[in-house]
This record gives sequence, structure tokens and C-alpha cells, in this order.
Amino acid sequence: MNCAECRDNFVACAEGLLERGEEQQCRAHLAACADCRAEYEFSVHLQHRLLARGQAAAGVDIVETVMRRVRQEQFKPERETIMSKILKHRWGLGLGATATAAAVTLIALLSTPKIQAAAVEAMTKGAQAVANLTSIHLRGQLRTQPQDNFSYINADCPFYTIELWKEFDPILKWRVEKPNRVLVMDGQSTVMLINSNTGVKLPQPTASAFDTEWLHRIANLSNTISNELDNARDKGWKLTVTEDHGADGRLKSIVTVMAKSGVPDNDYVKNTFIGNADTRRVYRFDAQKNLLESVQIFLVRPSGEVQIFDLSEIDYNQPIDPKVWQLDVPADVSWYQAPKELPDNEKYASMTAEQAARAFFEACSREDWNEAAKFMSPINDQLKQYLGGLEIVSIGESFTSKMYGGRFVPYQIKLRSSETKKWNVALRKDNPAHRWQVDGGI
Amino acid sequence: MDLTDKEHVERCCDGHPEDFGLLVDRYQKPLFSYLASRVGSLPQAEEAAQESFVRAFLSLRKLRKPGSFYSWLLGIAGRVAKEQFRSELRRGQDREAAETMMLTAAGRDEDYPLEEAIAVLPENHRQVILLRYYEGLSCQEVASRLNQPLGTVTKTLSRAYALLRQELKARGCAEQTVNPTKQI
Repeated sequence: MNCAECRDNFVACAEGLLERGEEQQCRAHLAACADCRAEYEFSVHLQHRLLARGQAAAGVDIVETVMRRVRQEQFKPERETIMSKILKHRWGLGLGATATAAAVTLIALLSTPKIQAAAVEAMTKGAQAVANLTSIHLRGQLRTQPQDNFSYINADCPFYTIELWKEFDPILKWRVEKPNRVLVMDGQSTVMLINSNTGVKLPQPTASAFDTEWLHRIANLSNTISNELDNARDKGWKLTVTEDHGADGRLKSIVTVMAKSGVPDNDYVKNTFIGNADTRRVYRFDAQKNLLESVQIFLVRPSGEVQIFDLSEIDYNQPIDPKVWQLDVPADVSWYQAPKELPDNEKYASMTAEQAARAFFEACSREDWNEAAKFMSPINDQLKQYLGGLEIVSIGESFTSKMYGGRFVPYQIKLRSSETKKWNVALRKDNPAHRWQVDGGI
Repeated sequence: MDLTDKEHVERCCDGHPEDFGLLVDRYQKPLFSYLASRVGSLPQAEEAAQESFVRAFLSLRKLRKPGSFYSWLLGIAGRVAKEQFRSELRRGQDREAAETMMLTAAGRDEDYPLEEAIAVLPENHRQVILLRYYEGLSCQEVASRLNQPLGTVTKTLSRAYALLRQELKARGCAEQTVNPTKQI
């Protein structure tokens, strides 16, 4: 036996796994070769060290804890702002995920009543049914305002179409579209176009961005299950399942989730975004194929329920036109730019929210757009036309929301068109320049 | 067949976040072992391990070499351990007391370079080390798990030892004397 053969046999020799003859040859070589003997002794020594390390960590099992925290990070209520998305966008949800042992484990951990476990089982089957999708297309209707963001809801608004296209192979691509707002992740970057004149670009691919997470979540039942189960445990959400025959005569499993947002009733933003709303969610599965066929979401208020979302068009594994991943951005689009420190930054950083709101409106009144741009980006021509020459009627005392990282400042202004507007401007300063930035409410 | 780290990372980034649980399962014990040598107590080590994994998940898209996941994870864990140390200082313990705590922890088992050395092994070598010692499988069980002949597993382990020795030597701690009965 030569040195190389002997060294290859160290472990087998030390653990008594060699044939008798081979072991004798190995031992004979070790007795004769000082280098190999030293190497062998180190191997035995190293084996002891490794055994000690492994034994000390034997009882460690943090998989479930870590994954619960990961899910909590994923499902943190989305902030309702453009700026916050730019500063910190989160992981979203892909689709190919299977409803694996994790979901089953959670069922056990929850000790759910039978009906709840049955609901989870129906959703688990639904997730398994779509475990290996290549693409999905959702086309639904959402009560919202066209100019507002992708998760804004308003029970008094009409329904508007909202669509999600998602392709998984060879790389993840997706697109979400509603009137006046298009968002495309083409595998390289993420670009949102608002009203065809304002753009926001993230230079990297994302799995979800700009308040679209809730829609991605519907397209990913595995994560939906995790989310609903975590909330069932932490917030007391109720899951039930019933069966019914659909219009096609086939048996359907209908899972209903009563979702409580946990946002106080008197909070300003309660029920204004999907993530901040108390809702009843109805998932309808084909009981034989287990495929999700429709989703309805109802806003639950003391005055009664109002349906705010209806999804009944779901295409699985249909080819998606490559043009879907293209976004025609007009040459004159105004791009959002994160605020940078100014030479006199401290002057602005030390302002209160009320002072910042007043300074912004005063700049608009003077049509001093350089000054106004210190509080808002971008200010396109349409906005200049709208706000230029306004008169401030009043600026009120600011207030906060549990679900918002900035402050809201009540204001009343008289526009050049003679229209009077009374609303609350949202301001936040969690940006590198620490200046208040208009984040909504204009 | 088990997927590689690179494949799991890529699947996570492609919309399969549940794959991250498999990476946690794969590396939780060596990571805990590594952190237990660096922080003040076993509960702190577990807390730091959880925090390290969560941070890794949230930054996964920044990982340029998915195959180096474990090595990258140890880097994150090292920073988490330092932050824990500073946090202890801020909580009112004086520096001397906190440093004593760290020294005590380090003195308990100064073998954490071993996990760092394991991190830079080729993946097939690292895999058998983790299964054999951190999962507590016998060589025969490792062979069954990987669907490999027993001889291949023992040879891979032997070669992994040689690589570990080289790596530890490069780090100046190859000949470190460790009492094999000492527990973390």
C-alpha cells in the first residue's frame, strides 16, 4: 500500500471498516511511514474534535422557528408608499412552491379544530396542484381608485381590472397592471409607470414590489397557507371549509378565511389597503382537480360587508406573449429620485411635519418648483399645473397611524381652478437625507 | 437526491422560499456550534443562529456565488455575534464584564475556526462531514443517504480531513489541542 492509498483509507481504518487484510496493510504502512503516521494521528484527533462539535449541537432544531420568522418578514403588512418600497422592498412570493411538510407540521402545531384542519387540507391540495407551474395569469376586479397604488381599496369606488402575469421558466418574470399603473419585472429590473408620465425603477429583479404582494400571494397558495395558519394561531383568524356544486356540476371545496388586520378601528389607514383591512376571503377549489378557480374578498365593516375583489379568471400554464415583459416608457417620463443631502439640509431636516407641509404648499403657491422638489419627487408638469398658484387655507396638527412610518398633516388649499381641497398629506423622513418627503395625499 | 446549496439558493430566489428551510436544516448545527464558541451562552448562540438565518434569507439575492452559501452565512453570523456583544455593552454591562463574558465563551471552546474551515471545503466533502458529525450518521448511513458505496464515503471523509488540515494550518490552528471530551 502506498501513501496515497493509505491516506484514502484513514477513516475506514480508524472506524474498523476495512477488510482484515487491507487493515493490516494500512497499519503496516503507518508503522513504516512517519508522514502518514502524523497525518493519521491528526485525522483521529480531528475526528474527536468533530464528534465533540456535533454532539454539542445535537439538540438544535431551529428550522421551524426560522421559517416562521422568515414568513413573518415576508408577510409584514406592506407599507402603502412608493418611497418605502424603493427604500426597502421585500421578498415576495413565487408560485412554484409546494405545500410541503411545513404546512402539515403547522396543522399539527395549531391543534386546529377539525373544520379548520379540513380547510387547510383543501388549500394544501390546491397548492400541490399548482406546484410545478410554468406560468400563471390572474385577471380580477378591485374596488379602488385608478390613480392610487396596487393595494388601495375603497368600498365606495367602482371595480377596476387588475391583472397579474407571472412566468417561472427560464427565469422569473412578472407584470401587474391596473388603470393608470403598470409594473413590469422582466427578470433584470423592476419598473413602474404611473399615468404614463412618472416612472420608478428598481435596478434589480424582485419577486414582488410596490404593494403587489397580496396579489402574488394569491398566486402562491403554499405561502398563502403559511400566512393564514400563522395568523390563525397569532391573531385568531378562522378558517372553514364547505362543499358545493358549481355551475359546471362539479364539486367545489370552498375555503373561507376571516382575516382580522389587527389595526385599531380608529386608525386612519384602517381598511384602506388590503393588508390593513378586516376581510373575509373565499377561495374556491375544484374538488377533483384541486385547482384554485376563484377568489372573492369582502371588506368586513360594522355597517356590513362589501365585496372589494373578485377573481374568476385564472389561466394556468398558458404561453405568455413576450411583449408582456416589455414596458414602453415615454422619453419624457419623470423618474423618481431618492432625496439627497442638500447644502442646507439641516434646515429641512429640523422641520416638523407641519412646517414641511406648509413649506411645500408655499413653494407650490409661488411655483418655485426647485424648492417644492426638496419635498417631493418627481413633480411632473401635470402636478405643476394642478398645484401651481394654490392658496393655503389651513394646515392642521399632524397625526400618525399604527401602520405608517410617517405622519399625516391635515390641510385645506384653494386651487387655481377655484376648487377647494381638504385632505391629509402623508409625509415621511426615513430616507438618507432625513427630510420630510411627500408620500401621498395630494 | 439532495439539491446543492447553489440549487437551493437559486430556487429560493425563483419563488420557492420554502427551500430555505432545507438550507436551515442543513446548516443549523454547524452554525450553532460556530456561534456557541463566539457568544456568551447557548441561548444566545441559538438566538444569534436564528437571526443569522433570517438576515441571510432577506439578503439572499445579494449572494453572488450561491455555491458559497455556508461561507457567506458564517460571515453574517460573525457580524451578528459582534452586534450581540455590543448590545450587551449597551445594556449596561461595563466593557470589562462584557469582554470577560466573551473571553469566557471563547475559552470554553476556541474551535470555531473548524466551522470556518468546513465552509470552504468542496461541497461533496462538506456534505459528508456534516452528515457524519453534525447529523450523527454512521458512515454506512451516510452512504445510504447519498446512495454511494461505503468506500466512496470513507475516502471522501479521509480527503476532507486532509483538506481541513491544510485549511486549519493556513489559519494557524491545525495543531490545536482540544480535549475531545470537552463540550461546548
